[in-house]
Amino acid sequence: GLILLFYLVFYGFLAALFTFTLWVMLQTLSSDIPKYRDRISSPGLMISPKPDTALEFYFNKSDSQSYLEYVTTLKNFLESYNDSKQSQNIDCTPGRIFEQNDAVVKKACRFNLSDLGPCSGKEDTNFGYSRGTPCVLVKMNRIIGLKPEGEPHIQCTPKDEGTVAITYFPPRGQIDLMYFPYYGKSLHAHYLQPLVAVQLAIHPNSTKEEIAIECKILGSPNLKNEDDRDKFLGRITFKVQMTE
Amino acid sequence: GLSSARAAEVLARDGPNALTPPKATPEIVKFLKQMVGGFSILLWIGAVFSWISFGIQLAQGAESPFDNLYLGVVLALVVILTGIFAYYQEAKSTNIMASFSKMIPQQALVIRDSEKKELPADQLVVGDLVEIKGGDRIPADIRLISAQGCKVDNSSLTGESEPQSRSCDFTHENPLETRNIAFYSTTCVEGTATGIVINTGDRTIIGRIASLASGVGNEKTPIAIEIEHFVYLVAGVAVSIGVVFFIISVSMRYKILDSIIFLIGIIVANVPEGLLATVTVSLSLTAKRMAKKNCLVKNLEAVETLGSTSIICSDKTGTLTQNRMTVAHLWFDNQIYSADTSEDQTTQPFDQTSPSWTALSKIVTLCNRAEFRPGQENLPIMKRVVVGDASETALLKFSEVILGDVMEIRARNKKVAEIPFNSTNKFQLSIHETDDPSDKRFLLVMKGAPERILERCSTIMINGKEEPLDSEKAEAFQTAYMELGGMGERVLGFCHLYLPEKEFPDTYQFDTDAMNFPTSNLCFVGLLSMIDPPRSTVPDAVSKCRSAGIKVIMVTGDHPITAKAIAKSVGIISATSETVEDIAKRLNIPVEQVNRREATAAVVNGMELKDMNSEQLDEILCNHSEIVFARTSPQQKLIIVEGCQRQGAVVAVTGDGVNDSPALKKADIGIAMGIAGSDAAKNAADMVLLDDNFASIVTGVEEGKNNNHLRTETLLINPQETGQCCPQGPDGLFLLQIPSVALAYEKAESDIMNRRPRNKRRDRLVNEQLAVYSYLQIGIMQSVGAFVTYFTVYAEQGFLPSTLLGVRVNWESNAINDFEDSYGQQWTKYQRTYLQWTGYTAFFVSITIQQVADLIIRKTRRNSIFRQGLFRNKVIWVGIFSQIGIALILTYGLGHVTALNFTPLRFQYWFVAVPFAILIWVYDEIRKLLIRRYPGSWWDKNMYY
Repeated sequence: GLILLFYLVFYGFLAALFTFTLWVMLQTLSSDIPKYRDRISSPGLMISPKPDTALEFYFNKSDSQSYLEYVTTLKNFLESYNDSKQSQNIDCTPGRIFEQNDAVVKKACRFNLSDLGPCSGKEDTNFGYSRGTPCVLVKMNRIIGLKPEGEPHIQCTPKDEGTVAITYFPPRGQIDLMYFPYYGKSLHAHYLQPLVAVQLAIHPNSTKEEIAIECKILGSPNLKNEDDRDKFLGRITFKVQMTE
Repeated sequence: GLSSARAAEVLARDGPNALTPPKATPEIVKFLKQMVGGFSILLWIGAVFSWISFGIQLAQGAESPFDNLYLGVVLALVVILTGIFAYYQEAKSTNIMASFSKMIPQQALVIRDSEKKELPADQLVVGDLVEIKGGDRIPADIRLISAQGCKVDNSSLTGESEPQSRSCDFTHENPLETRNIAFYSTTCVEGTATGIVINTGDRTIIGRIASLASGVGNEKTPIAIEIEHFVYLVAGVAVSIGVVFFIISVSMRYKILDSIIFLIGIIVANVPEGLLATVTVSLSLTAKRMAKKNCLVKNLEAVETLGSTSIICSDKTGTLTQNRMTVAHLWFDNQIYSADTSEDQTTQPFDQTSPSWTALSKIVTLCNRAEFRPGQENLPIMKRVVVGDASETALLKFSEVILGDVMEIRARNKKVAEIPFNSTNKFQLSIHETDDPSDKRFLLVMKGAPERILERCSTIMINGKEEPLDSEKAEAFQTAYMELGGMGERVLGFCHLYLPEKEFPDTYQFDTDAMNFPTSNLCFVGLLSMIDPPRSTVPDAVSKCRSAGIKVIMVTGDHPITAKAIAKSVGIISATSETVEDIAKRLNIPVEQVNRREATAAVVNGMELKDMNSEQLDEILCNHSEIVFARTSPQQKLIIVEGCQRQGAVVAVTGDGVNDSPALKKADIGIAMGIAGSDAAKNAADMVLLDDNFASIVTGVEEGKNNNHLRTETLLINPQETGQCCPQGPDGLFLLQIPSVALAYEKAESDIMNRRPRNKRRDRLVNEQLAVYSYLQIGIMQSVGAFVTYFTVYAEQGFLPSTLLGVRVNWESNAINDFEDSYGQQWTKYQRTYLQWTGYTAFFVSITIQQVADLIIRKTRRNSIFRQGLFRNKVIWVGIFSQIGIALILTYGLGHVTALNFTPLRFQYWFVAVPFAILIWVYDEIRKLLIRRYPGSWWDKNMYY
């Protein structure tokens, strides 16, 4: 009995001590910006939709069930990009870093869904999957304070030439500098990260083949894309296999 | 004798006359034993588990399954390296052993084909006629057919230290008792004999005893039992923690396979990788130190056993005593004088002014046939080798110390006639010219059994004057004789007579056969008594044993009176305690009426022991704290050892003879004598005493006790394991365990020899309190400190503790490369993993820092650290600094070696855990304070380990 009480008190004390020290530690942190950001100096690339099975798309263009999940994911993802949701966002000056260090409330720049062309889901609610021209959205990870240099753009290349024709929206896969820098979740609540849609027109000869496509961010000296260990730093590889 | 042909026939039938050596374990088996024993098994299982989960992960196509492969390799390496180390250590001491037994092939003088031949002893067969002479080793069991003054030293067989005379007469039914049989491997001390070989090789008495020894099972050493116990404990803890986590992860909808890997990970994390190495290294360090103090340990586990010894059964001759007769007392002028009996006497302190002493010293010097071997002038007198029997040697050395060059004195007093000692006369006599040129008388000197000498005397010398020997003086002699005899000493009487010049002119021809000179009406001069005195270091050692709660039992073949006297003089029987007989004598009542419980001491005769059953023996061992077994045969030693073990004691036994080997083997720790010991004894023993000194055993015990740190080391390791299992820490965490070896250098807690030996049934190496204290208290405290650092690292990089809960699956998914932190930033898998490594490193560093506190508090179990002294053990600081050094190298030096998964760490994270380290120290000081303040309280019972 006594021993249980002892451990109750002992662990109670330790738990309190643990919570207290963590609380003290948390008090030293700002709620806006992490203390250190040296572990993410360069952003990773990611795609949407993201298949469960390790970035591999398998679908049958005549079977809507087979790509339903991708389409739904894309729809949900683009929900926040709807004009209705962007009412308080402002139009920024393209091609320039949009610094607003002094502003208390950081403004978010508008991203027009129409820039994504056929991949916006407005005209084609199936995002091209039913026609054998599936859309994949490529986005760059949000990193607080990141200011890309030069003219960053996404470029995707299939592993085997001629298997697929790639179209970019916005043209040339450009990522506009006006969306940077990001000021963090609490200060920059309505921030929308810029997207690049990649429409893959799969060559009729190459259906049923597994096509590996690598997308990279180019044109910016401070965005790395060739790290040996991190295969997603400034690049991403995914596979597409379409049947009819 | 036999013909060569017949001998060859018998040889072919019986085999050579040699003992079959004990089956030597092949080296490879010894080596493999090191690899798979006890702990190693646990580590192997850990390694296999790691490889299994590597296999599963590889089959699954996981990204980095190699971590588990490496972990398995590391575990296997630890076992193999430790095994090699332990093997090397033991091989080294085996080699020292081997050098002891450099056997010179023995020769025997045999009559074959009616010719005397020198043959190697192993060629002897039953029926051979052999001749032996003084100094020979008896080549087989032989029955004597002729003997001249033959004496044999049977000490290696029966433990009797006195040479036994041998003749052709059959005197006893028992072959061991009869006088006409000489045994294999005993030595002929003097005289010559001829005999017929009756037994050879393994059929000899000694051969039978030796084979008896190999039949006695070896007791498991306490440490082996402990380690087994510990392995079960650790396995139990590991498996149950693993299963709990397995259930949790399954109920949290993890995949079964992932959960299994997780389970294996936790089990492996709980394997104390470093403990095996720590135990081995710390035992060998202690073994090394013990070797310096003349205890050579044959197997490492014996070190720990010695530390937990609770009864020492010690031989007397040579172990407790110096194994040489020394003059202890003198009686002349109606007064007893004590002589110095220490090992390195150079002078004698007693009063030497009396003219009686001058006369006595002359007899002692002249009536003595012993001589120093030539060429030893530079050696101390006590170390010189003497030709002659034990008493004469004692007298020679005694007079050499007091008078100087004895040989020169003898030369000045030329011997003209002599009758050597024989058992019928019981005296020795010689007649000398005097060194006084003006005195032309001859001096007749005589020594021998006191009562016989006194019979021949009519006067007694008092203060240099001859006085008539009246009944009053005879009474005084009797009292002195009884007193000296009662001290267990061998007493000799001395008398002399100056032969009248007229009757014995210097041309007189003395005839020793006709005895044409007076041998009665002599002048009694004095008594000298001799004893094999205790070694000077022994009384102190015995009292140390006493305070450490170790019972010292003397087992000897000697006479009870001698045994008791020595026991009293070394403190085995303390000055105040009495035996049943003493009480009877004091109260003047018959022995049967004495309340046996009142007697704390007991002197048990071998004959009594023979008639006892085991309950009676148990009763004696239980009820008396001071016990002497006298007149015991070595076989009875085994019975005594078993009796002690029935009491639950850890028994150490010393022995030297072949016949001791069963007892040595049976004992928890057998201690063989390095100098006097036979090979068989050394083989059966766990430890060899290089200087044959009892005191060395006690220093050994002290070292072994200090090795109690072993316990603390195991417990030092446990908390890390608690911490380790939670986040699957970097593999390098086990490196932390290495500095704990430094505790082996810790000076003994000041009162270590005052603590009772641990009870092998109750006090486990890792007992409940210890496990509880280290796992549930210190371990948890360390984990708290380490987790604070861990969470700090994550929080300062953007992951607040609240975001970290329940994210394991997504966090570890290779497909998710936009994992969002608390600030809206997105992380790739590798970025997360790198952060995770930083977390581990921080965890590791925190544990390191807190281990410093842990290491310090483990220095003592009861005393305050401030009393023990923080800086007395320099090695521990070396350990602490090397630990921090290792941590520094791992974090900053090997930052890019992925296998170890360490990353450079911000400097401030090194200090996050410091307050927790201080807290651990303070907590432990309070714990120790309360234990000291309230002994026996609830706190003491639960918190003392």
